[in-house]
Amino acid sequence: MTDRRDEYARMSKIRGKKKILYIQTSGVDTPERLYAPFILGTTASMMGVEATIYFLIKGCTVLKKGEAEKIKIGSFPCLKDVMDQASKAGVKFFACDQSTQLLGLSRGDYISTAKVGGAATLNDLALDADAILTF
Amino acid sequence: MTKKTNEPINPDKILDCLGLFCPEPIYRTRMELDKLKKGQILEVIADDPAAEGDITSLVKRLNLHLLEIRKEKEGVHILIKND
Repeated sequence: MTDRRDEYARMSKIRGKKKILYIQTSGVDTPERLYAPFILGTTASMMGVEATIYFLIKGCTVLKKGEAEKIKIGSFPCLKDVMDQASKAGVKFFACDQSTQLLGLSRGDYISTAKVGGAATLNDLALDADAILTF
Repeated sequence: MTKKTNEPINPDKILDCLGLFCPEPIYRTRMELDKLKKGQILEVIADDPAAEGDITSLVKRLNLHLLEIRKEKEGVHILIKND
């Protein structure tokens, strides 16, 4: 099993682009922590790197419809604009829907560019990534 | 007689994961896959929105064959072959 997994990871690295995985665990209650993964992800895409942001624990609150629109810090643009720019640049978003249960929030209702991912999806992304940054 | 491409696939085992949330569908799928003999087919039915992506990842990692993903009213049907 391990041999197969190692081989799979090795082959995917040979075949494709470099991959960065950003893990966002901060939520809308700490808006200053929300900009970096989008900005880094957009930049990574521009650099020819495949970027994915996985929103886990409180992070999933950022992807709820209507939330990013409410966040703007200082001279920075509205978080929604930064998020849309990342999406247009090809950055992929995953929401951990199970985190909503942990936080006592209603399930689903994410922005259309976000996909719901589970534990295996995050593990898979981590195994395939060349680098992982956590926020 | 040639086999029709749209012919329904008959699974050897059906795993009902309806109403279960991450990581239960993945956990139960793995338990069933371990029991699956060479050439046998498992059908997993799940309504967790994370299940489709998660089970696809699992199947790829285990180097098994994903035969079909079919979305129906009650949830997604995923057919996996051990070959």
